[in-house]
Amino acid sequence: VTIKYKSIKEIKNMISHKEISNKEVIQEVFSLINEYKDLNAFITLNEENSIKKAEELDNNPSDLPLAGIPIAQKDLFCTEGLRTTCGSNILNNFIPPYSATVIENLENAGCISVGKTNMDEFAMGSSNETSFFGNVKNPWGKDLVPGGSSGGAASAVAAGLVPAATGTDTGGSIRQPASLCGITGIKPTYGRVSRWGMIAFASSLDQAGPMARTAEDCAFMLNEMCSHDEKDTTSLDNDIPDFEENLNSSLKGKKIGIVKDIDLSSLNNDVVETYQNSLKEFESMGAELVDISLPNLSLSVPTYYVVAPAECSSNLSRFDGVKFGMRSDDVKDLEELYVKTRSKGFGDEVKRRILIGSYVLSAGYYDAYYKKAQQVRRLIKNDFDNAFKSIDVIMTPTTRGPAFKIGSKGDDPIQMYLEDLFTISANLAGLPAMSLPNGNIENKPIGLQIIGNFLDESTILNFAHMFQNQTNWHMYTPEGIKK
Amino acid sequence: MDKKTVTTISYLSRLKIDNDKEKKIINDLSNIIEFVDQLNEVDTTEITPLTNPLEKTAKTRKDIVTAKNLKKELLEVAPSANEDYFLVPRVVE
Repeated sequence: VTIKYKSIKEIKNMISHKEISNKEVIQEVFSLINEYKDLNAFITLNEENSIKKAEELDNNPSDLPLAGIPIAQKDLFCTEGLRTTCGSNILNNFIPPYSATVIENLENAGCISVGKTNMDEFAMGSSNETSFFGNVKNPWGKDLVPGGSSGGAASAVAAGLVPAATGTDTGGSIRQPASLCGITGIKPTYGRVSRWGMIAFASSLDQAGPMARTAEDCAFMLNEMCSHDEKDTTSLDNDIPDFEENLNSSLKGKKIGIVKDIDLSSLNNDVVETYQNSLKEFESMGAELVDISLPNLSLSVPTYYVVAPAECSSNLSRFDGVKFGMRSDDVKDLEELYVKTRSKGFGDEVKRRILIGSYVLSAGYYDAYYKKAQQVRRLIKNDFDNAFKSIDVIMTPTTRGPAFKIGSKGDDPIQMYLEDLFTISANLAGLPAMSLPNGNIENKPIGLQIIGNFLDESTILNFAHMFQNQTNWHMYTPEGIKK
Repeated sequence: MDKKTVTTISYLSRLKIDNDKEKKIINDLSNIIEFVDQLNEVDTTEITPLTNPLEKTAKTRKDIVTAKNLKKELLEVAPSANEDYFLVPRVVE
């Protein structure tokens, strides 16, 4: 009996039919993590506590929705008593005295947090190469990046170490690694999931979401992750639907927006063909394709690279070596304590973004950059508002191509920033968006992005689930991983 | 973006740039600023800035103390503290 590559529902059934005990589930997870430790998917493991919790569940079986389900938590969520580094040297020794609301919600639903997953430092990166704890490997090829920033989460799910993981997405950090590792992930509407206890990168863009092998498992997870939280003033108090309810609705007559402003000829031919085959699949289920225009879409990346660094430079000012985290020794005064701690504690990409943020917010440049970017941000959002008057979802490729080789983007930051070309606009507009596997290129997976209207996660999950009912792309597993 | 600007913003950021990395950082930051300069081609006259996708005023909650006193726990995770305070190098002589 194995839980490898089993869905949440399958594992639940195995436990309730006594085919496997809770303890055996958790023991298998840790034996898999150990077997594939060269993936470097985890920063910190929570073995002892997990086994203890599983034994308690064996003694007192629970019917909570995620009872006994092993979940890998991105190392950006504070976890009480369990080291939380955010992939950074500056938090190398940080053990939070409290847990993020998302972690509390999932654990209250019975899940077992087996460990903390590796990630780009402070979620700033698209390849997991900026982590202080070393890059994560993609199970589809040990020389390939898993994407980022939720690269450890994507790698762990793709290798079958856990059925599901949490991620966060500021410009594509759930969707891009999901695409590159051949799994499914959803970034909910901004405000759906509490940001309390999430280490902030760009507060007007950050949103947490689930990563799993199927849209159905993402729906299960999302049901537990969402809540209205008074501790996060941007947390929405709108009704939270049951995300499973709509999964099997017919797509007949539903309208898919195709963005005519995206120049497909600039993409890899295989990416275009894969994308077009998926659109045909949806047409065969009765959905209609409608041309839409998002004229300001090409400005998303430059807009993002003003807004996100500005918010990051402000958010990361809290890391000063005084109250928590690392402190540099051998300083003569308080000013030097700040400077030495931050200079030693942050990596190059984080420093680059703090500097850009300080520049665009500084006197004399504020209007030219920060205000300008926020104005363009509104134009981008207006484009989406107009488009969604006549369609149900928008579809694009998630990424420009499949996983690339570790080190291949060189040290030109802009090349890496363009990795998120298709994903960033959903964060700027606050819209829900997901990625699901829709093909393989040279034995590497690639994803389809579905963007939904405000608060309409149910519809994109419905499209994704219907696609996964008809196709097998989400069931493919990497050759190097034993089934 | 020149050496002087980078010196100013690294001071504002409380970051020290190593001499051997300075040239690359000036170059990277110049490229990024040049890249985001394409925003200037857009006419944004009379467009209200969008600071947050929800555009809602932050909600207030009832004035009831809900937080637990975590003083001991918080001081425990500090790099340097006594039983009441975070400790830093002396700031007044």
